[in-house]
Amino acid sequence: MTAPLLEVTDLRTHFFTRAGIARAVDGVSFSLAPGEILGLVGESGSGKSVTGFSLIGLVDPPGRIAGGSIRFDGQELVGLSEARMRAIRGKRIAMVFQDPQATLNPVLTIGTQMALALQAHRQAHGRVTDRAAAERAGAMLTRVGIPEAATRLNNYPHEFSGGMRQRVAIAMALLNGPELIVADEPTTALDVSIQAQILAEMKSIARDSGTALIWISHDLATVSSLADRVLVMYAGRIVESGPVGAVLRAPLHPYTRGLLDSLPAMAQPGQRLAQIPGSAPSLLALPAGCPFAPRCAHADAACTTPPPRIDRPGRQALCHHPLDAAA
Amino acid sequence: MTDIVASNPHGPCIVAPEARGPCIIATSLTRRFDPHLSIGDRIAAAFGAPVETRAVRAVTDVSFTIHRNETLGLVGESGCGKSTLGRLVAGILGPTSGDIRLEGQPVMRRGRKTTTRIQTVFQDPFASLNPRRRIDATISEGPIAHGLITRAQAPAFVADWLARVGLDPAVATRFPHQFSGGQRQRVAIARALAMKPDILVCDEPVASLDVSIQAQVLNLFLDLRAALGLTCLFISHDLSVVRHVSDRVAIMYLGRIVEIGPAAQVYTTPRHPYTQGLLDSVPKLRLDADAVSFHPIAGELPSPLSPPPGCAFHPRCPRATELCRRERPKLAPHGASEVACHHA
Repeated sequence: MTAPLLEVTDLRTHFFTRAGIARAVDGVSFSLAPGEILGLVGESGSGKSVTGFSLIGLVDPPGRIAGGSIRFDGQELVGLSEARMRAIRGKRIAMVFQDPQATLNPVLTIGTQMALALQAHRQAHGRVTDRAAAERAGAMLTRVGIPEAATRLNNYPHEFSGGMRQRVAIAMALLNGPELIVADEPTTALDVSIQAQILAEMKSIARDSGTALIWISHDLATVSSLADRVLVMYAGRIVESGPVGAVLRAPLHPYTRGLLDSLPAMAQPGQRLAQIPGSAPSLLALPAGCPFAPRCAHADAACTTPPPRIDRPGRQALCHHPLDAAA
Repeated sequence: MTDIVASNPHGPCIVAPEARGPCIIATSLTRRFDPHLSIGDRIAAAFGAPVETRAVRAVTDVSFTIHRNETLGLVGESGCGKSTLGRLVAGILGPTSGDIRLEGQPVMRRGRKTTTRIQTVFQDPFASLNPRRRIDATISEGPIAHGLITRAQAPAFVADWLARVGLDPAVATRFPHQFSGGQRQRVAIARALAMKPDILVCDEPVASLDVSIQAQVLNLFLDLRAALGLTCLFISHDLSVVRHVSDRVAIMYLGRIVEIGPAAQVYTTPRHPYTQGLLDSVPKLRLDADAVSFHPIAGELPSPLSPPPGCAFHPRCPRATELCRRERPKLAPHGASEVACHHA
C-alpha cells in the first residue's frame, strides 16, 4: 500500500449565515491513493460540492473550513496562505466544473487561456515561450479528442459545442500535469452520447497518466462505471464508503439502498418505484442523532443518538442498523 | 409528504394499444423556425453579406399515433426537436405544415389552440410557475376561466387537487418559492390535471429533480395516470425513465423519428444504429467489479441549420454506405416497430 496522496480527516466546512450555522460538511474523513478514482455521490445539498471546493481552497464567505485537516502529499492545506494555495491549485490539484460555459473566459481564445494557465505556474517549470505553450495546449486538446487542435486554439469558447467546451476544460485541467483532479458533475449538462465519450476519455487519461480523480456526481450509474471506490454523502456526512461494486451490490446504509431502489433501472417497467419518503432535511435544522432517521424505514429510538461507525473490511458506514446485521 | 392515491400496481398494458383506438394522430408534422431578419439584413443578405438566412428545421415530416390510455415515450438528445414536437402536440406551437388531430379534430385552428383536453407539465418548475402568484390561484385560474368550476368552488377544488398530488391542502396560499423543486413539480402536475385533460404532455418532468424525489414524482405520475385514464406523451432524454413509464417509445434524431415501437422491443432489440448507440452510451449500474468499456457514438449532432444529405445519422454511423449518403431512409415496419434505416 503506497502512502495516500490525499488524506482528509474530520473536515468541517460551515456556512455562518444570518439564519444560523449550516454545517454543509460535517466531519468528513477519507483518503485517496495516487491514481485512484473516487466517486463522491449525493443529492443536492448533501455537501458533495462543498467538499470538493474545500479541497481546492475555494470556499467563499460566509463559508469557511471550521475544523479538520486536508493533507495533500504530506502538506497541510487547511490554513495555507492564499499565495501558497495558488501554487498548488491548477498545478498539482486541478478542477473541472459542471458548466464549462461559466469556467471559460468568453472574450479570450482557448489558446490564450491555456497559455495563461501554463504561465501562471512558471515558477514550477520555468519560463514558457508562446510557441511552447501553444504546442503543449495543442497536444492536450488532441489528448482529449478535439480534432484539428492547432487551428481550434484560435477559437473562442462560444465556437465550441457544449461537449467540446467540456473537453477544453478538461484539457486545461490536465495542462500542468496535476496529481489530482477534482471534477464536480462534469457530464451532468451533457447528452448521453457525449457523456459516454467524456467518461471513456477520463478513464483512460486517469489510467495512463496516473492522475487521481475525485468524481462528484448525483448519478450512481456514472460513478459505478468509472470509480474504484465510492463515498455516499447525506446532510454533510459520509454515510457509507467502500469499493464501488461491493457498496452497490450490498449497501450497508439504508440511504444507499434507498437511492439504488429509486432508480427506474432497478424496477420492472410500469411498476411503482421504491421511494424514499420525504425530502432532505434543512442543514439549518438537522434532526438530533442520525439525519436520515426521519426518512428511514429502519429508524427506531436508538436513531435519535449519533450513529456509530460500522467497520467492515474495506468499508464503513454510519448507522445504528446496518443492513447486513438485519439478516 | 404522502401519496394520497393508494398504491396502484399499474403493470404493462394488458389490452393491445391498437385495440383502444387512436387518440392523437400526427401527420407529416413539420416545424421550421425562420430567422427574424430586418429589412437591412435582407438587403445585406441579397448582396451576399454573411447573414444567417437558413431556417432551423426543428421537426421534419413526423407522423405518429398515440392510442387511448397509452403513454408514448419520446427520446432524443438536446436539439433533436423533441420539445418542439411536444409543443406541437400540446397546441402551444403551430406546425409549418402537416397536422395534428385529437380524435379527428385539429388541435389548432388559425393559430389558436382549440381544446383544453391537452395539458402540459414542463421541465423547470422554477420557471413554469408564476412566482408572484399564490399556488391556489395558479391551480384554479384555468378551471375558472373555462367554466369547469365557479369561483366559490375554487378553495375546495384546490384543496382536493393538492391532496391528490400529495401536498398538504394548508399550503394553498403559499408562493412557489416556499416549495422545494419536487413539491413545485407536484403543483405543476396539479395545475395541468385540474383542467381535466385526456392527454398530458410531459416535457422532461423529472429532469431537474434529485433521484429520491424523481422516484416520488414518477410514482405520483403512474398513480394519477392509472386513476384518471390519461393518455400521455412523455418526453425525456433519460432512457431509463422513459422505459419505466412508456408503452411505446419513439427515438428522434435531428428532427425526425428514426425508430418507433413497443418499449420492450425498442430497448431489447433496437434496430436503428442510433438507438443502439444511445442505449450503449447510457452508464449502467455496475454491480460487478469488471472493467467497464464504453461504446460511445462517435462525433456530435450536426447542426439543424444544415442537416447532412441522405440519412442524417450517416456521418456518425458505423454501418453507413454510399446509399445512406445519397438517399434518406423512410420509416418501414420491422416486427412491431418502424425503423428508418437502410441497414436495419
